[in-house]
Amino acid sequence: MERGSVVNKSARRATSVSIRGLTKRFGVKSALDDVSIDIAPGTFLVLLGPSGSGKTTLLRCLAGIERPSGGTIAIDGEQVAGPKTFVPPERRGLAMVFQDYALWPHLSVRKNVAYPLATSSLAKGDRKSRCDDLLERVGISHLSERFPNELSGGEQQRVALARALAAEVGLILFDEPLSNLDADRREQLRIEIATLTREVGATAVYITHDQSEAFALADQIGVLNQGRLIQLDAPETIYRHPTNAFVARFTGVAGEFPVRVLGEKEPNRVEVALPFASGYAIGASTTEKLGPEANVRLFVRAVGVSLVAPSHGSGVCGVVRDVAFNGHGYDHVVDVGDGFSLTKIYAASRFERAQNVKVCFDPSSCFVMDSSREA
Amino acid sequence: MAIAAVESASLTTSPKDPRRRGSLGGVLLWVVLTLLIIAPVLSFLILGVSPRVFQQGSQWFTLKYVRESFSSYSGQGIFNSLWVASIVSVLAVTLATTLAWLIHRTNVGGRRVWAVAMWLLLMMPTWMMTLGWSDLLQPFGGAQALGVNTHWFYGEFFGPLGIVIVLTSAALPFAYFIVSAGLQGLGPEFEDAARIHGAGPLRSFQTVLPIIAPALLSALAISFAETMSDFGVAFTLGYHAHFPMATFMLFSAISNFPANFSVAAVIALVLIISTVPPILLQSRVMRKRSYAVLSGRTRAPRRREFRRGPRVAATAGVVFVLFIALGVPILGAVIGSLVKNLGIESATGVHFTLTYYSQVFHPSVTGKSLGAPLLLSNQLGLVVATGTGVLAVVLARRLIANPGSWSQRVTDVFLLGSVAVPGVVLGVGYIFFYNIGFVTHHVVDIYKTLPLLMLALVANAVPGQTRFMAGPVSQIQPSLGEAARVHGAGRMRAWRTTNLPLMSRVLLWGWLLTFTKTISELAISQILYPPSQEPASVSIQSYLANYDPGTGTAMTVMTLFEMLAVIGIALAIYRLVTPEGWRRIGWSGVQS
Repeated sequence: MERGSVVNKSARRATSVSIRGLTKRFGVKSALDDVSIDIAPGTFLVLLGPSGSGKTTLLRCLAGIERPSGGTIAIDGEQVAGPKTFVPPERRGLAMVFQDYALWPHLSVRKNVAYPLATSSLAKGDRKSRCDDLLERVGISHLSERFPNELSGGEQQRVALARALAAEVGLILFDEPLSNLDADRREQLRIEIATLTREVGATAVYITHDQSEAFALADQIGVLNQGRLIQLDAPETIYRHPTNAFVARFTGVAGEFPVRVLGEKEPNRVEVALPFASGYAIGASTTEKLGPEANVRLFVRAVGVSLVAPSHGSGVCGVVRDVAFNGHGYDHVVDVGDGFSLTKIYAASRFERAQNVKVCFDPSSCFVMDSSREA
Repeated sequence: MAIAAVESASLTTSPKDPRRRGSLGGVLLWVVLTLLIIAPVLSFLILGVSPRVFQQGSQWFTLKYVRESFSSYSGQGIFNSLWVASIVSVLAVTLATTLAWLIHRTNVGGRRVWAVAMWLLLMMPTWMMTLGWSDLLQPFGGAQALGVNTHWFYGEFFGPLGIVIVLTSAALPFAYFIVSAGLQGLGPEFEDAARIHGAGPLRSFQTVLPIIAPALLSALAISFAETMSDFGVAFTLGYHAHFPMATFMLFSAISNFPANFSVAAVIALVLIISTVPPILLQSRVMRKRSYAVLSGRTRAPRRREFRRGPRVAATAGVVFVLFIALGVPILGAVIGSLVKNLGIESATGVHFTLTYYSQVFHPSVTGKSLGAPLLLSNQLGLVVATGTGVLAVVLARRLIANPGSWSQRVTDVFLLGSVAVPGVVLGVGYIFFYNIGFVTHHVVDIYKTLPLLMLALVANAVPGQTRFMAGPVSQIQPSLGEAARVHGAGRMRAWRTTNLPLMSRVLLWGWLLTFTKTISELAISQILYPPSQEPASVSIQSYLANYDPGTGTAMTVMTLFEMLAVIGIALAIYRLVTPEGWRRIGWSGVQS
């Protein structure tokens, strides 16, 4: 196997990853607390969480840059970190795209990309052709003799991507690779990461704090908070059935309100009274058994809220506080009374500031949770 | 591939091993530092108040030598050193700040040349500077040979004025490099923000100044410490001008008969104590308000574009300062080495000759040529610079690893304290410690040998070299090494292919600095050279003082040019053998 790797990473064969009870402490501070994840070969897993949630630490433990304080990590069924084992990064058979690119400034673009091939069994000519091919695929073949400081941020990150793909390993790690790029380049490179990684068939672990990036890329999303894995599911499940309030908030809500449960309409669906609209009730989904005395909060996704003219028959009365053009329509902030408001409400046509509107709720995008159980 | 392979790999890389390796390495490092610096210095210093500890007197505790040190001629030396160091540090920082601003932030002419000149100044020992000035100014010396009358200044130079000029010149590069680092990290955005929000040029300057205040304070502290601990000027100019200075009084206390180690220890203690407060103060300030504001977003500083007239004036100013600091000493020594009967009145006037150069390697007076001492000095330089480089890299990595940790703080304080230990104190400490019966019988018996001199020279160079390297080493992003490991490089290959290229220039310049400083080092060499194995600096001093000043001056010039030749060859080799990428990046200490 290449690089004298302990872990089998034969070209283009996706590897599986199994993380069991992983903990990492820095002094008294716990960065990871009993995290367990199984990643099937070829999966694109995105770890989503705010700063300090432990996602970077998890990635670095997986890479072998950090040593776990407890738990085990196995790549393709072989333990690389455990109570008596620690396989160094170079023998784990993986590649990584770093947040700060980590391109070696004294090496040209070509030499940066060829670096992982230095210890491979490939002939010199084959290495060169693989480099050329990769540079071509990431669209920077014309920059191959430049040095990193002569490239833009987007070009640098393309070099880092090509380098990660060069060794044809079965596992590629991405450490917030798009966070230093502007919106336009971020979108372009996101698409390239998604397509190229799937093209080579590698398993990918990608960390980000941007939920839209996570939803766009992932086969599976793991949401982390304060060192713990809160939910691991398909993106659709995370969005539609968040496990708790933290996941709901972190994956984007237009508003949340304390509500009173009026009764159960059908299994996993209740009717709740809104605090700012007396006599107005809406349906919402739940995974919990909630009684009328429960301390409950309603979470509303932006996609489940629409604005209509005040003359419209149904809906909650509100006043537009702010409006912003987003290119294909308008995002509104609407005050709905009693100090409550809803944000990011999309409408194809513009409602002006201070204009009265009616707000309609789609029950499928509303869910309630017992707030006394918040994580 | 099998699980067994993983397990066998884990035998050498289990999670506990690196920590154990790290702590073992730490213990080993501190054992080395104890033998190199801590034990020799402390065992000597304790004699100041407790001479009986090492059978240097009858008292376990006494303040007699403290009183003696302050009440006698040595007290005058301490006082002189303190006030000279105060003036010199202020002058050096003022000049260095002006030069750094002109060279880094304006379009002043010859910027690359001045940056290199600062390096040469840094490498030039103070005794060589003194010699150059003296040869130029003395009656029947270099200036007179050129038809310039300098009699009026000669008397002035051999006194506090000359001492201040030479020591300011010597402190100038230290201050310059520190302030330059501060200025380079100061992007234009701060000044722009001040101007945009209504501040004029003066108020903008006042707004930005506090950002580099820690750098100025740092430069002040280092200049003060360097001046206090200088031996070259005290041994040459101070002695001849009857202007006692602390380091020379310390040397006298141990070289006179009978030697008074206790008085020497008190003077050493005063030297160290006087330099520790300013260094600790700047260290505290630096910790709270780092002037290192370089980041990925920092843009290159903008240069102020002078028009033709001011540009010529600014360039002339830089030329004048560097001519005084570097040009005069070199010119003086070179001309002095060519003047027949240097400093001796002749009825036929002053004439030029090459006789002294023929005497350098075939002397008729003593038979002691410069060849063997210069060869010895080069060998010392090679060993000391290499040893210091290795130790300094290890210490610099330790200094920047785990910021805020206990081990990092101890290393930091130790290095700061060690910078304040003058070479002469270290030399005397070595004489003392490595002659103690217990040490010679149970630790190492190297008293009066070349290895002892080598160790002392390494000990003298390590603290400064470590601090010199810490900055560039800390600028290397850890992710570069991590990326190499993740992409298949082992520990050594990762270091060799990522860290080494990025550090190569600072390693080269650090090596050259130690090499040249070792060749010209005087204080430790004078104290510790083994019988019949004189290094070049000691040999030259004995020529200058006892035999033939003209030949001594020619030897000085030959040594100086030999040092320059080594620098030139080393830089040329670096340019020839390193890949282009190595030279494009990394530390930019010689770029303007």
